[in-house]
Amino acid sequence: MKKLIKLLFVVLIVVFSTQINAQTAEEIIANYFENTGGIDKWQEAEGIKISLKANQGGMEIPWEIVQLKNGKQMTIVNLQGKAIKQDVFNGEVLWSSNFTTQKAEKGDKETTDNMKLRKNDFPDPFLNYKEHGYTIELLGEETIDGAETFKIKLTKTPITVDGIKEEDVSYYFFDAESFVPLVVHAEIKSGPMKGQVSEVKMSDYLEVEGLYLPHSITQGIKGQPGQVISVDKIELNPQIDDAEFEFPEEEVLKADSLKEIE
Amino acid sequence: MKRTLLAIVLSIGMLPIYLDAQTSEVISATGLFGDLRARHIGPALMSGRINDMETHPTNPRIIYTGTAGGGVWKSNDAGTTFNPIFDDYCQSIGAIALDPNNPDNIIYVGTGETWPRNSVSIGDGLYKSKDGGANWEKLGFEKSERIANIIINPDNSNEIYVAVLGALWSDSNERGVYKTTDGGVTWEKVLFVNQKTGAADLAMDPTNPTILYASMWEFRRTAWSFESGGDFSALYKSTDAGKSWNKIHNGFPKGQLGRLAIAIAPSSPNILYTIIEAEEDLRKGLYRSNDAGENWEQLNNDFEITVRPFYFSRIVVDPRNPDVVVKAGLIGSISRDGGKTFKGLGNMHNDIHDIVFDIKDSDRIYVGTDGGVYRSWNGGTTMEIVENLPLSQFYHVSVDNAVPYNVYGGLQDNGSWYGPSSASGGIKAREWSSIGGGDGFRVLRHPTKNIIYSEMQGAKNVWRYDVDNKLIKTIQPLPVKGNPKLRFNWNTPMAISTHAPDRFYMGSQFLHKSDDMGDSWTIISPDLTTNDKSKQEQENSGGLSTDNSGAENHTTIFTIAESTLDENIIWVGTDDGNVQVTMDGGKTWTNTSADIAGLPKNTWVYHIEASVHDKATAYAVFEGHTTGDLKPYTYKTNNFGKTWTNIITDNIVGFARNIQEDYVNPNLLFLGTEFGLYITLDGGKSWSKFTKNVPSVAIHFIELHKETNDLILGTHGRGIIIIEDISPLREITPSVLKEKLHFFTSDPTVMKDQGSFGGGFFGTETQFTGSNPSTAVQIKYLLQKRHTFGKMTFEIQDMDGKIISTLGAGKSKGINIVNWSYSIKQPKVAKGKTFSAGGFTSPRVKAGKYKAVITKGKDVFEHEFEVIYDKHAGLSSKDRELKHNTTMGMYNMTQELAYLVYELDAVLDSIKDNKKLALALNSLKETLVITTGDNYVHTAEPQLRERMADLYTKIAGSYDKPSNNELDNLVIIEERFNKAKIDFAKLKKKAKVDDLILKTFDEFINE
Repeated sequence: MKKLIKLLFVVLIVVFSTQINAQTAEEIIANYFENTGGIDKWQEAEGIKISLKANQGGMEIPWEIVQLKNGKQMTIVNLQGKAIKQDVFNGEVLWSSNFTTQKAEKGDKETTDNMKLRKNDFPDPFLNYKEHGYTIELLGEETIDGAETFKIKLTKTPITVDGIKEEDVSYYFFDAESFVPLVVHAEIKSGPMKGQVSEVKMSDYLEVEGLYLPHSITQGIKGQPGQVISVDKIELNPQIDDAEFEFPEEEVLKADSLKEIE
Repeated sequence: MKRTLLAIVLSIGMLPIYLDAQTSEVISATGLFGDLRARHIGPALMSGRINDMETHPTNPRIIYTGTAGGGVWKSNDAGTTFNPIFDDYCQSIGAIALDPNNPDNIIYVGTGETWPRNSVSIGDGLYKSKDGGANWEKLGFEKSERIANIIINPDNSNEIYVAVLGALWSDSNERGVYKTTDGGVTWEKVLFVNQKTGAADLAMDPTNPTILYASMWEFRRTAWSFESGGDFSALYKSTDAGKSWNKIHNGFPKGQLGRLAIAIAPSSPNILYTIIEAEEDLRKGLYRSNDAGENWEQLNNDFEITVRPFYFSRIVVDPRNPDVVVKAGLIGSISRDGGKTFKGLGNMHNDIHDIVFDIKDSDRIYVGTDGGVYRSWNGGTTMEIVENLPLSQFYHVSVDNAVPYNVYGGLQDNGSWYGPSSASGGIKAREWSSIGGGDGFRVLRHPTKNIIYSEMQGAKNVWRYDVDNKLIKTIQPLPVKGNPKLRFNWNTPMAISTHAPDRFYMGSQFLHKSDDMGDSWTIISPDLTTNDKSKQEQENSGGLSTDNSGAENHTTIFTIAESTLDENIIWVGTDDGNVQVTMDGGKTWTNTSADIAGLPKNTWVYHIEASVHDKATAYAVFEGHTTGDLKPYTYKTNNFGKTWTNIITDNIVGFARNIQEDYVNPNLLFLGTEFGLYITLDGGKSWSKFTKNVPSVAIHFIELHKETNDLILGTHGRGIIIIEDISPLREITPSVLKEKLHFFTSDPTVMKDQGSFGGGFFGTETQFTGSNPSTAVQIKYLLQKRHTFGKMTFEIQDMDGKIISTLGAGKSKGINIVNWSYSIKQPKVAKGKTFSAGGFTSPRVKAGKYKAVITKGKDVFEHEFEVIYDKHAGLSSKDRELKHNTTMGMYNMTQELAYLVYELDAVLDSIKDNKKLALALNSLKETLVITTGDNYVHTAEPQLRERMADLYTKIAGSYDKPSNNELDNLVIIEERFNKAKIDFAKLKKKAKVDDLILKTFDEFINE
């Protein structure tokens, strides 16, 4: 009997394999959401807080990323007991703490405008992608990291780079077995690496309140060794005070409140 | 139905058994390379040959270059820097074109360089990208070999013309002008002359896309001769979108024609220019037509205009001024009077192949040469090189035993060079040293002396360079009484001996041997070639333009291999197909290649690899592309050449030029083909293409470095590429492949103490920088399947199981590499207003054994490895002990101070209202950490935290043991810290905060 079950399992895999060959981009995305918690669960997500850690040459850097449905987001790097906010966006203003002065400074207008276009990327750019005017295209199957994948091109709203409008394209490699994204490639649009292709790899998918999310992310340049970032904790729908995202207009970011006490 | 299901089940069930039975010895490496990826070290300072330059029609920041052997590169910053966008495909490029109606996305690339010198590579078709170069599809033309132009009708993107120059070494029907009207799905050949005549240039009237001009060129190369021109070379015009073509020769020279270039003045399309290669010298040169080709007038036949038409037939007209014309050539030249007179372009690398004007400003010119891309800001008067195009075209590569080892090699038209395999801050242009001029080929380092041998084409000079004393001497063998004329190949073989360090071999038609580093020579063989006189008439080579550069010298020796196991065994391969072997040091020779199954007669012997495992074993790589035979041929003998066995499989693409045998595992072989690197783990039963950062580039030579196990590839278009430490490949066996996770063995890793300045200088921002190898401990393991679901963690533990460091695990199927910098995490530092620069240092662990522990689901995998101290530091074990204890003492002290400040802040917070006590606590705190200023020039006076952390970093970061001065300084810090502890204890007591809940020290440190 055990043997028979095993054999039937093999048959099922064969049937399943032939099915996956006939996937469309829409079906792959639908399967992805289905396999990682269900589309309804994804639609319910209001926000996420991710605690991460990277080890760079022995130096361990912990940080947090917060992203909310309305486009608000921030990254908090923890260095020597000090929480330094980076890439904070309240929906209108993008700002970061200057590492030297530790004062908040606004991001340039172009980057801010491009950030506004990212509002629809939470919790996943593929969720409701049509409504957001994004398009997807299945480019074919590819072996990446030793896994069979579907390569999907995602085209989002064009961004502006150094004054010129450019398409915003990224390539997702979805696991042909489980339909979760394994790798993302995208051309770097600005800075000294401009023109090179960034590579993000995802693994260690674990369940968080009903959603399967990657808990290990490797970031780098395509073709070169990447930096592994491990996720310590993911919190869904965290309670974050809106004020946290606001640019501190008058007050500089003080390390402590000693002066007040004096 | 039942039966069908059963059949499927049975066949599935039986498949593995069948495979096992059949493949007991086959070990496919496909999909296993994982993190085993290559690094590129350039060099880019001399760059490499360029075939085509293209601008974007509306965005002047975007420039493309198609290179002779290094693929397609795109610049987003007006030619300041470039990035490769075509690495997965054939790297020899003929033409690039952007769809004028969608130039951001639609790009066409025609492969195959169109300046057909002797060393030219081949293309494999036409490609299209619909997304700006991120993805490519092939549109056919697999046998075209060389595509000269691609032109898209600006009024109709589906109408495209392609000029196929075609095969160089053989007849071919796949040449002429092709047209598609459905965006490349179907093609019609609209102009064809014969199997020997291809389309060398094509132009479309920008104001009327039905008007086309095509130059057809009759040409052929053999290994020993070149022929340019004939009765069928001609310039054609079509006025009906390619349906019919007429010769437009009114005013042309009489007699046979050679290669013709054609250009239309974009601002006045009735003005045409052509460059004509003709029989009569006086009638060669630049011709102009003012009536769209009805009549032609000869304007100029200066040297620069007529020089080497096969290499320089390109003329470009300023898009805004029909009288400004630039001609490719030896130095390139520009006319500002409509072609009557020319002056040279500014100083740059010789051999100009293409020129483009900026789309908005004619002062800005981009030029493609044999030595990379140059920019001009003043109309071509001064030129500056693009510094980040590592397109160097190596013919050979060799290494030495220095630490780090150096890489040596010669390049097409760019001399010979050597440089380090790693350097502080990366391998920049300044690290490379010139070691010979002309075209460079083999460069060999003397096995024991600081002497380097190098050569230029045809052994015109063979240099022996005494590096220490900076003394240069030429040592090429000269004919002596009784010798016939010596025939040296363009790419003359040289070899050193592993048995006698001063021994040096060279090959003409004879094998020359010197036992005194080239001061005296003995011929130790008869003519080992076929000595076919019909292949020795190079003075007649060139066709209409004599071109006897020596590049076509034939019936010569091409490769020499002395067995490392027996100095009397020497293998010699010739360019006309002989594999000769002597087993008595040259007294007698046997030609072993007379009858090798499947190998066409006289196929060029490109490389012989004498096995290091068995003296009767050798590998011979044959290469027939100069007869139009593009198949790979590699054979193995294990009986001194009595019989040869084919080790090539059908999946290998591109003709092969080189093979490298592993020094440890005789079944591990590396094969370089015209389209990339292939690796076999089973002696050639199965080959897998290695694509991890190795483009589909022509690999001319492969070397394996014994000490490091690095595989060094000499590529003909992408410089030197290194795959670090291939030793894991040696361990892969069928049983290893069955393991869920297999750790590879590793030698102890040295915790490097050596350092150097450099790397941080300005002025090299736009330079290519070669990547360095990792200095970390590399833990390598093979994973059977990619890990995607569930937690997989990687810890470094000491031998007692205590966690030392937590790292990110590699998750790919195949080989994974995790780097550990042999350090624990940085200390937790007291919180202050600013950062403590000294607090970012992670201390190193003690030398000894450690464990890598991978937890994957329920499975735990452990691997023991060792780190050892760097001997260069010269420290005794007592010194090491003192250093470690002092460092860790300070590490702990730093963390104690952090906890003290944490406690102080908490107390302060709870007694806010007690202003007097708060003042006292704040006063104490101000002596512990910086509470004002910033991290730059508004910095405050350093306090205890800064002094402590700075000394900690000074000691931890030094190679040396702590000095007395440092230890004395530590005493002050300790005293101050002890006092602070006492002071705080007193204040804490005063604060009466017994109910204050604080984290414990451990909780605080590990939070």
